[in-house]
Amino acid sequence: MCHGIPANSEDLAPLEDKFAEKIISVTGPGLLSLEVANHSSLNQAEVEAVQRGLITSLASFGGRVVNGDQAAAAVRISLSEDLKNYVWIAEIKQGAGEPSVAMISMPRLKLNISPLEGGSLVIRKTLVWSSQDQILDVAEIAGNPARAVVLYPEQITIYQSQGGKWQAEQSVPVAHSQPWPRDMRGRLAPRKDRLFDAYLPGAFCQSTSGLPFGVTCRQSDDPWPLAGEQFPLSGFFTPAKNYFTGALSPGIGGQRSLPAFYSAAVVPRTPAPLWLFAAVDGNLHLLDGTKDQSAILRWGSDIASIHSGCGSGWQVLASSPNGADDAVRAFEIRDREAVPATQPLALGGSVSALWTAFDGTSAIAVLHSREMGTYEAYRLTITCGQ
Amino acid sequence: MRLIALRLLVASSLLLGNAAAATRPHYGGNLRVMMSASGSLDPVELSGTVGGGNIARLLFDTLTTTDDRGITQAGLATSWQSDPENRNWQFSLRPGVGFSDGSPLTPESVAASLRTVNPTWHVAAGSDSVAIQVDPLNVDLPAVLALVRNSIVRREGGKLAGTGPFTVGEWLPGKRLALTAREDYWNGRAFLSSMDIDLGGNSQAVDFGRHHVVEITPEQARRVAGSRVSAPSELLALVFARTPASAMEGRLRGALSSSIDRKVIAEVILQSGAEPARGLLPGWLTGYDFLFSTDTNLASARQAVAETKQKPAWSLGYDANDPLARLVSERIALNASDAGIRLLPTPRADSDVRLVRLSLASLDPHIAIESWAASIGLVPPKFAGGSSEELYAAERVLLQTQQVIPLVHVKAAVAVAGVVNGWSNSRSGDWHLVDVWLGVEKP
Repeated sequence: MCHGIPANSEDLAPLEDKFAEKIISVTGPGLLSLEVANHSSLNQAEVEAVQRGLITSLASFGGRVVNGDQAAAAVRISLSEDLKNYVWIAEIKQGAGEPSVAMISMPRLKLNISPLEGGSLVIRKTLVWSSQDQILDVAEIAGNPARAVVLYPEQITIYQSQGGKWQAEQSVPVAHSQPWPRDMRGRLAPRKDRLFDAYLPGAFCQSTSGLPFGVTCRQSDDPWPLAGEQFPLSGFFTPAKNYFTGALSPGIGGQRSLPAFYSAAVVPRTPAPLWLFAAVDGNLHLLDGTKDQSAILRWGSDIASIHSGCGSGWQVLASSPNGADDAVRAFEIRDREAVPATQPLALGGSVSALWTAFDGTSAIAVLHSREMGTYEAYRLTITCGQ
Repeated sequence: MRLIALRLLVASSLLLGNAAAATRPHYGGNLRVMMSASGSLDPVELSGTVGGGNIARLLFDTLTTTDDRGITQAGLATSWQSDPENRNWQFSLRPGVGFSDGSPLTPESVAASLRTVNPTWHVAAGSDSVAIQVDPLNVDLPAVLALVRNSIVRREGGKLAGTGPFTVGEWLPGKRLALTAREDYWNGRAFLSSMDIDLGGNSQAVDFGRHHVVEITPEQARRVAGSRVSAPSELLALVFARTPASAMEGRLRGALSSSIDRKVIAEVILQSGAEPARGLLPGWLTGYDFLFSTDTNLASARQAVAETKQKPAWSLGYDANDPLARLVSERIALNASDAGIRLLPTPRADSDVRLVRLSLASLDPHIAIESWAASIGLVPPKFAGGSSEELYAAERVLLQTQQVIPLVHVKAAVAVAGVVNGWSNSRSGDWHLVDVWLGVEKP
């Protein structure tokens, strides 16, 4: 597992040193010519940075890069890659014989993704966590030191911030007697009297309140919280599947059930808040305690609400596809009409989780990048724009 | 900003069409598939082809799996360890897993299954693990255990049982396979409730009214809507029955390789359903294929033939049931004759050189090349580590035997109906049907 994003060509410096050492072990110290060809996903700027780094590294091992006619060895470097690694190859020609080949590899890095902006309001995404393992939810716990709780399918890990880096403080396996569903979901709920509760299909985990933190898990069909702490509505989750049964606790006014749904969002209203449910049948259900109305919208099955303070104050985030990757877009709900409030934000992966954060001011989106095989949790906020 | 009306309706009065929105997977439904015939459900027999592997993975699991990046992941084994020499391995088994016949997965059943397929291994059952001793040492044993042929199978009274996500409802060898999802599957119930697999072979006319998923040839892919192709991964190669008897024969084999126009095979005969092969392994799996050269060089081929002062004549065997193999063989014979080499295509098995199709057994390139070498009668390389340099050296040695001439890497193709969701395009052509789900069919 890793966290944080290894970002740029600076991270390739150790590879450059090792590669230079290998090349010099073939050519010996002296004058050499260098030609670099890119067969990898590195962009031109990164290739140029690698070339500069290699020249420096070669010099540190006694190799000086000169023009071809002055060189005792001609080195042709190919920056290539396989499924999981950068593969750098040097074909070294000295004299009339066959060229020697030196090769080195290193796991490929994940590059930064820039958020897309536009519209009067703007969705901003901030990377919270990155992992090779599936992430179900992440909660950041303010304090000194700051902590982060990461919910994985098989464990809950508490991290502590130390000198700007996250260190694993404790990891507790999640006990479960039934197989997890394929489209696994889980939710963290930070609590005032203890660090957090964790909800998983057919299981419930609770942390202790004091240091060192302990976590106990048990088989349970306790309902999951559907929004932030301001709106204490919970829904029962189907243990072997990927959706809520439709049974609500304590209910919205007199309404205690609706068709099975994937996710919910809430928008405060007078006299009662309006709840939106992305149902399994593809409809959007709107409940305000007096009526259940369904609507057709081309929204995805993950929705969440954010109290941004911008526009009408609250927006609903909805997932939708955007080419190969998913996107989210914020809407305002005015008189039961959905008004786009932002441009869609391409997320650079498929949304595997979207939850309203417990304080209601942001949402946590977990993205799965099939290409990189990574999971990344982002905090989504809405800013008021220019 | 434009308003999007919610169009309020009476609850449950209208169902959505198959909206293009990103929805979570739906449970239920029967997936109808058409693919090439299989006469057996034994993973050992299924392991030779991409399609066979796709069937095997529905019924059986392996101790480990290889993900789409070639990284070994836990399967029926939750963890493993070895001694420093990588000779003695221990695999801890996942608890609570059962075979489709109701019997539990036990260390004894795992050991028996692995012994059947790997008679040279020493496999011993522990209390909750199996110990495997391999000789010679094998650093890649966890990845080897992910191969389809190492699926864990319970063989009882001529019947096969697996721990996979589906059980067999009906099996008519070579004709039909009906499968039902296991509610108790250890890795989460499949989204589909059932599958109906028509083993009638490749279809020239894809009919999504009859089948949701149809295996097609790579040449068809450009003409069929909804087609998906893998990375070029299956190797089409010429394999000589024996090592060259002399340096001169070696030169002639080199001349044959230089005479072949791989681009025509890839782009004309296979209609861009393949790419010319430089090495044995495809470049996307190794990153170094450009170090090998298989460019057509008719002049050098003619010169080599002229210098040997021989008129070489070899019989070229191909699979009589594979129309593509016949076409490719005839094209190669034409190229060879231009260089002064006589190749006689024949469907006979006892030929001097054979045209073979080798499907990629693993996304771990070390395992893949070991598997290919063994299947064409070459000494499989052994690796002390997992470096690219070692892999390159091993591949170079295999090519230098001059027993194998790589031709093209062929893409696997499949046509998938729009109602099928969750389809992931694997680089190797593997289908992950356990993650597939059916959306709402458009009227």
